[in-house]
Amino acid sequence: MSERVVFDGVSVTYPGMSAPALREVSLEVPEGELLVLVGPSGCGKSTFLRALAGLEGVSAGRILIGDRDVTRVPAKDRDVAMVFQNYALYPQMTVAQNMGFALKVAKVPKDEIKTRVGAAARLLDLEPYLDRKPGALSGGQRQRVAMGRAIVREPQAFLMDEPLSNLDAKLRVQTRAQIATLQRRLGTTMVYVTHDQVEAMTLGDRVAILKDGEIQQVDSPAAVYDRPVNAFVASFIGSPSMNLAEVDVVDAGVSLAGTTIPVDREVLAKVTSGRALLGVRPEDLDVVGSGVAITVELVEMLGADTYIYGRLSEGPLLVARVDPSIRPALGSVVHVMPSRTYLFAAEGDQSLLG
Amino acid sequence: MSLAPVPVTAGGRRKSPPRSRAPGEPRRIGYLFILPAVLVYAGFVFAPFLHSIYLSFFEGNGITRMEFVGVANYVDIATNPVLRSAFIHALELIVFYSIIPIAIGLLLASVLHRSRIRGVAFYRTALFLPYVIAPTAIAVIWRWILAPRGPLNSFLEAVGLGALATPWLGDFTWALPSVGLVGTWVMFGLALALLLAGAQKIPLELYEAVRLDGGGLWTEFRAVTLPGLRYEIVVALVLTTTAALRNFDIIYVMTSGGPGNATVVPSYLVYQQAFKVAQIGAAAAMGTVLILAIVGVNLLITRMARGSS
Repeated sequence: MSERVVFDGVSVTYPGMSAPALREVSLEVPEGELLVLVGPSGCGKSTFLRALAGLEGVSAGRILIGDRDVTRVPAKDRDVAMVFQNYALYPQMTVAQNMGFALKVAKVPKDEIKTRVGAAARLLDLEPYLDRKPGALSGGQRQRVAMGRAIVREPQAFLMDEPLSNLDAKLRVQTRAQIATLQRRLGTTMVYVTHDQVEAMTLGDRVAILKDGEIQQVDSPAAVYDRPVNAFVASFIGSPSMNLAEVDVVDAGVSLAGTTIPVDREVLAKVTSGRALLGVRPEDLDVVGSGVAITVELVEMLGADTYIYGRLSEGPLLVARVDPSIRPALGSVVHVMPSRTYLFAAEGDQSLLG
Repeated sequence: MSLAPVPVTAGGRRKSPPRSRAPGEPRRIGYLFILPAVLVYAGFVFAPFLHSIYLSFFEGNGITRMEFVGVANYVDIATNPVLRSAFIHALELIVFYSIIPIAIGLLLASVLHRSRIRGVAFYRTALFLPYVIAPTAIAVIWRWILAPRGPLNSFLEAVGLGALATPWLGDFTWALPSVGLVGTWVMFGLALALLLAGAQKIPLELYEAVRLDGGGLWTEFRAVTLPGLRYEIVVALVLTTTAALRNFDIIYVMTSGGPGNATVVPSYLVYQQAFKVAQIGAAAAMGTVLILAIVGVNLLITRMARGSS
């Protein structure tokens, strides 16, 4: 049976480390939801998953699966299934034995194991490989066996630890879609860890962004893209990432390399120190007749889009995602203007919008 | 010797080198390169071995004329209780030399490789050390420890267990186990070093997978540790059973086969028959059976390992 997962003020500190890997994390994943945990390496997302699985001890807080407090329950009794980054298939067992192992441990009758393994194998196109050993399978097939092993269990929740990172780019996109379909069909709660924001955006019902062991924001993919709570989330979500530049507040806007970018008075009123962090997504930068002047350093043509990397007269490199018909020469000066802006506090990075 | 590469000599006749064999296929010239090793092996191992099989059908002291006796020497091994008991002792020593060290090694390896222990390298070296020491030196040390007035009995008396004190190597019941436990002490380090090295190659995720699959410590051992250490176990079994079967130095120094014939083993008998009582034929037959036993046991081990994979 699928169940909700609740983290209530959970902290995890590894032995010998001064800073906790997870810092008082509170989060509820409703039953049947696919939550993606995303963040840079070392942000604590794998620790979150391992704490939920029972592979890592918790130093403070409670973890609930359904209404059951599992904080002190050993991994083997938590009834969650995990897909490991390197799949962790038992090398000496066949695909069928791998998939049925948990049932065998739980002393499920042989006939039922066979039926359930068969059903999962059909779902994952693994039927021809049931008698093979993992060593004789391709990376994609191994990944599906690992998925199968989790599905057969019919657990209360699926835990996915970067399950696609060992696949090549094309297979990754295919399998990503397969996982999303599968999760929706089975309706089982899933916590999915990745460092890839594209996976996070495409897979998740909701996305939780972690940094330094703390949750920055939990919301739908559209919301974290549209309304990031701070500059970290803003720059982490979206590709290429958001342009950020420190700016001075002037009358009716902010000054970027001498050009005034208009900003709502309400927003400006929240700026305390006279300086703020301006954020502009590459897709919101338009090439115009007069605006912010940038010197073109690199042009990337991707077919449907073109990315222009240009440097301000003073300050950082800006990226603009523009129509492919625009092809500025390297070293030339183009003018850009944001059609939409974000403003963050200079201290603490918090969003000043909304 | 001129060893012109094949393509060059062939190049005189053809424009392109012949593609008669796939690249990397063995060439006849390769045999020339292994010839020195083959000659040494044939001269110092194979020829004496054949000669000893030949001798095993004769009776005599090796100096005067030998008398052909057919398979009488082999019949003797099967029927003479002393000769037969030597092989039974060898089998008993396998328990002490291989089974016990590997069992303890497996237990420790499955516990040790997951826990971070300070100075693991030191313990590994310390435990491996007995295997490096010359067996004769080990035998001398243990003969002293187990002597009737040796440290072991003194210790037992000091802690009030004087009733247990016994002349270990002079006791018909205890002599063979005592010698066997010295073997356990020697082989344990080897088994542990092999198994620990193997255990370190087992990905930790497999253990986590078992735990998430609902398995406990025993399931972890059966589903991950044991299969993961299959090759190391085979190597340890082959090395230790061979050592048990051909055991000579430790027996020679510690008990000389005594008391009575309580610790007589095949290698010791070979030595005794050949050089003490000058029964060359009997010694040769004994040696031949011993070699066959060693080869047989090793075949059995590798066959079983292949069957279980």
